[in-house]
Amino acid sequence: MGCSSSVPARNTGGLNTISNDSSPDASSKDLRAKLVLLGDSGVGKSCIVLRFVRGQFDPTSKVTVGASFLSQTLALEDSTIVKFEIWDTAGQERYAALAPLYYRGAAAAIVVYDITSPESFSKAQYWVKELQKHGSPGIVMVLVGNKADLHDNRSVSSQDAQDYAEKNNMFFIETSAKTADNINQLFEEIAKRLPRPTAS
Amino acid sequence: MESPTSTASRPDFYDFLDRMRRPAAADLFRSIKSFLVSFSFHAPNAEEDGSKVQAFLAEMESAIRDHPLWANATDQEIDHALEGLEKYVITKLFDRTFGTSTEDAVTDMDISEKIGLLQQFVKPHHLDIPKVLHNEASWLLAVKELQKINSFKAPREKLLCIMNCCQVINNLLLNISMSNDRTLSGADEFLPILIYVTIKANPPQLHSNLKFIQLFRRETKLISEVEYYLTNLISAKMFIIDVSAHSLSMEESEFQKHMESARLATQVSVASPSSSQGLPTSARANQEETDMAGSRFPFMDSETESLTPGEVKQLHDLYKRVVTRYTLLSEALRKSSIDEDQLLNSVHDP
Repeated sequence: MGCSSSVPARNTGGLNTISNDSSPDASSKDLRAKLVLLGDSGVGKSCIVLRFVRGQFDPTSKVTVGASFLSQTLALEDSTIVKFEIWDTAGQERYAALAPLYYRGAAAAIVVYDITSPESFSKAQYWVKELQKHGSPGIVMVLVGNKADLHDNRSVSSQDAQDYAEKNNMFFIETSAKTADNINQLFEEIAKRLPRPTAS
Repeated sequence: MESPTSTASRPDFYDFLDRMRRPAAADLFRSIKSFLVSFSFHAPNAEEDGSKVQAFLAEMESAIRDHPLWANATDQEIDHALEGLEKYVITKLFDRTFGTSTEDAVTDMDISEKIGLLQQFVKPHHLDIPKVLHNEASWLLAVKELQKINSFKAPREKLLCIMNCCQVINNLLLNISMSNDRTLSGADEFLPILIYVTIKANPPQLHSNLKFIQLFRRETKLISEVEYYLTNLISAKMFIIDVSAHSLSMEESEFQKHMESARLATQVSVASPSSSQGLPTSARANQEETDMAGSRFPFMDSETESLTPGEVKQLHDLYKRVVTRYTLLSEALRKSSIDEDQLLNSVHDP
């Protein structure tokens, strides 16, 4: 289930990640967005984030020690700067009841499943329903099929996931934390969908 | 990992007190005094006191920013002044704001008792902690950080105990991922270990401490990473309160059996009531009263409906005694907590 890989992170055009935190007196174009990760354990939630935050994951980097909370700043083409504060949640069934403590007040939620595991796809649908019932109104929800590199073992079709996402007003993307495929696109898409401050 | 404040230099409480004593700060000092005095007109109420303190701190932030004593001060210097102010005000209000309501005292006791039982049979695998992460030595370090929480009165310092505990766990996860060439894991592994550590630690007045931090830590500081780790400890508390056969992957009968034998073991070990409560030996002071062996927890197995009015009265008296005793204990704990000087010297920001 590793997300470590010798393939360097792909840097996609039009997107720059800035490692430094922005100063507290940020301009009105700056957004701070709490983003929560939901999904079964083992689907690679934290791998996706590590990929996004560190590009090529460097285990000797001690910038931030924890992998369950990470933040990353992203500059969009319209010069909006989004600081993501990414909250990971424990995916095991026994901790499911605690998730509302984490997604309370979140601006965005990434619901992750593993394309080789139909169980993880049903679990993802459970999270979508929970978020619709109890999440912040207007929360940006994204459905992510991870482990796209394992397409030989695929058991959740892209079309099914796409249909489900459309029905629930979600953005859908398949990623591979292993090869870094679509990782930056995922976060860029979320950043674009975040509501902008009205007075700017 | 960030500490609750910037690590560049720690807020110096003496510097704050020193500035407050200067004639130029007389106006600020007067505001603080009259704010503190205003509390004597109202009965203690943690939530209301919390909003008053939050509003006052926000108000003082602008007052300090505009004050000649802080002219040309950097954001960090202003922040240190506010940390000093928070600590000063809350230390003064501590006795009326920390764990004072009966409900909170009862919740603290319930949690502590439940943890006392769980300690006796919950094993790492019940919480999905994989074998490769087992490291009793690291866990003990994390336990010790969490147990320090009552050595401090200021919310920032209490929060620091939680952050230090979480950092020990994160360091462990990082070291294991490096030495085993294993993917660094996220919350799937962090939260179970934190819950296990919380059970091992049985931190004193867990509920009251969490509530106190949420109400009295400056709102602008309770964000981002700090808020995340605080939320994790809150969810550890929730998990413990709602613990069930299901949440430990046990058969109901097995869970009940474990809880029952843990209760029996607790009753047998009345000689050391302090250990199961996570309280220091000062708890022994009341020991002759608590040492009534069999009659120590009467009615524990009774059905509510089957109680006679006489028994209800008896229970009520018992309840009053328990609350009094608990209040005395909390008081003793507070008194025995480190004095201001030691406290300041022992604060080590990571």
